[in-house]
Amino acid sequence: MKAAMIRTPEGAHPTATDGPARLSRADADALAAELDALRAEIVAELGARDVAHIRAVIHAAVAAEAAGRALLAIGVGPISFVAGTGALALAKILENMEIGHNVMHGQYDWTGDETLDSHAYEWDIVCAGEHWRHSHNFEHHTYTNIVGRDRDVGYGILRVSEVQPWRPLHLIQPVTALSLALLFQWGVALHDLRIYETLAGEQSVSELAERSRPFFKKAGWQLLKDYALYPALALWNAPRVAAGNLLANGARNLWTFAVIFCGHFPAGVHFYREDEVTNERRGHWYARQLSGSANLEGGRLFHILTGHLSFQIEHHLFPDLPASRYPQIAPRVRAICERYGQSYVTGSLRQQVKSVASKLVRHALPKRARRARATTTALPAAA
Amino acid sequence: MTAHAIRRPTSWARGAARQLLLDRNLDHWLGTIDPVLSLSVGRARVTRIRDETHDVKTFTLAPNRRWRGHRAGQYCVIGVEIDGVQQRRCYSLSSPPGAVEITVKRVPNGLVSGWLHDHARVGDVVECGRAAGGFIVPPAPPDKLLLYTGGSGVTPAMSIIRDLDRRDQIGDVVFIHHARSRRDVIFADELAELATRHPQLRLIVRLDDQHGARGHDWLAAEVPDFAQRSTYLCGPSGLMAAVEARWRQAGASDRLTIERFASPQPPTTATGDTVALALTRSGRALTAATDRSLLDSIIASGAPVKYGCQMGICKTCMCRKRSGTVRDILTGELSSTADENIRLCVSAPTTDIELAL
Repeated sequence: MKAAMIRTPEGAHPTATDGPARLSRADADALAAELDALRAEIVAELGARDVAHIRAVIHAAVAAEAAGRALLAIGVGPISFVAGTGALALAKILENMEIGHNVMHGQYDWTGDETLDSHAYEWDIVCAGEHWRHSHNFEHHTYTNIVGRDRDVGYGILRVSEVQPWRPLHLIQPVTALSLALLFQWGVALHDLRIYETLAGEQSVSELAERSRPFFKKAGWQLLKDYALYPALALWNAPRVAAGNLLANGARNLWTFAVIFCGHFPAGVHFYREDEVTNERRGHWYARQLSGSANLEGGRLFHILTGHLSFQIEHHLFPDLPASRYPQIAPRVRAICERYGQSYVTGSLRQQVKSVASKLVRHALPKRARRARATTTALPAAA
Repeated sequence: MTAHAIRRPTSWARGAARQLLLDRNLDHWLGTIDPVLSLSVGRARVTRIRDETHDVKTFTLAPNRRWRGHRAGQYCVIGVEIDGVQQRRCYSLSSPPGAVEITVKRVPNGLVSGWLHDHARVGDVVECGRAAGGFIVPPAPPDKLLLYTGGSGVTPAMSIIRDLDRRDQIGDVVFIHHARSRRDVIFADELAELATRHPQLRLIVRLDDQHGARGHDWLAAEVPDFAQRSTYLCGPSGLMAAVEARWRQAGASDRLTIERFASPQPPTTATGDTVALALTRSGRALTAATDRSLLDSIIASGAPVKYGCQMGICKTCMCRKRSGTVRDILTGELSSTADENIRLCVSAPTTDIELAL
């Protein structure tokens, strides 16, 4: 599949209710039964192969980190600098995506291996693991794409859907998004502190201070590690090591930003109002994951580098199945989607980045908001 | 026993290494050099395997530096990786302090005992937690001792008697052992030899196929002072229940020290049933319905509990189950493993449950 399967015609902008029709109770239950059966089939197959995969990735990441840090610390000249920075960026990408994100989802809890324990794992990023486990595993994966409930919709600072009310801040959102791309790990880390909610008076300052503590602790150690400890170990090469670490963190930021923004924000992905998701059955929740996520196409290495978030749809259906199983189930998920009239948005990274970028530019302006609000109020609440 | 429970309080250096993510990198390279090496996980290499009976083997282990030694009568958690999954079981150490040996009877269809018997080879590495347990004889042994064992329950008592022998402290000891038949008596030769060397050690071997498996009529005749003896009991649950009842009848329950092997109770499945739910950290005793999730029951009781999606995906409510059997509400699967992590929101109890909450 080369082109995005669901494309929004140029000029036509979906409103909140443009998504697939809400399934009847019977259809929702049948969909849930099929997807539950698919999940059970994979769970029964889990075994040594899955453990071997994640251990191989961990080995690659640890080895790349060692090679990168060594090249930066003892190398001379630009070639070893670029190679070292590249190896370190690769290590951080593997660690954050295929290892950290997936392990912290509990994808390997069934192994009983302490090094793969979702509640104990801490990842190499300034975001504290305990924050992520709450904001991401619970809020985002439970209330996926419900505007007002899923704080990942535009991360509170970007407007990615007509359903979101426009604010003057959105005028500069192309610039905001670019800055976020470069500093993505800080965006992820600050996300669960709820700074915006505090400014809006929905969270007390003392609650903010309480929430900030794990963040300051984690960020402090991370800064110490990348910008003090490893540079100091390199003696006269310290500035070179610090620069390499900064660039590696930046490269990781750009990559993860691109992958994650393409997971929920490209054209064709549906957002929900809170009143659309009342009395949701398990099948409706599944359907919301299907229409609220988008996949990326690429080869095996590409998928590993995205932590298999290139199979965002499969990930949202089964967030705790080992991600390397997503390619195996994707064709079947897609067939199920077709049978139940559900969308399955997919495209190349280039296409989807363009789609997200144009969406960010379009929604920076208030015009659409007014029109969408008028449309929204005119429509009856979903059955 | 959890991995966290066996971790020592970390010194500041260990803590810093952990925050800097150095510990796991170091552990990774250590494990690459030699799988037994680890700074954080207790592991041991199998150095010797010998047959004790037709279905019992003894495994000699060489643990890594996480090991802190053991006292005679204690157990440790042994973990083996079977098809990608760490399977953990508690095994009493059969060796006296100094050596590390476990003696394993093959359980019919037993996953871990079967693996140890069929697949473990000298040189293999297994997970090996630190020794724990209170089935121990005080440093100054009681004047009158009774070691009462059945089947593979002989293992902790063997550790105790070997330790007493080494320290030359075998006084007035009665060692009762139940086995199915002559060929099922574990450590038969060594026990006979000990009894020959120590006249005060009296060995009573009861064989089910000769003496019958039930009844304790013989006890008062053979060991008239049994109720006055400090008694250490370990064996199959049926035997232990009978002995406990006999000691209670004799008013000697307080002289009885018991080591229990966890065995799953038969599940109660009728709806509307309730079971006892113990929260071990907060010390609460609740009742839980078998037809609703443990999370529902805990929330209803007002006990504090962290949770999120209530549909089994976010794992916020994940909690360690100490004992008992739960049914996965989504799959219907039953699980009785001790010390496993469960999601409270999709687990319904089928037996009494203990949670580390």
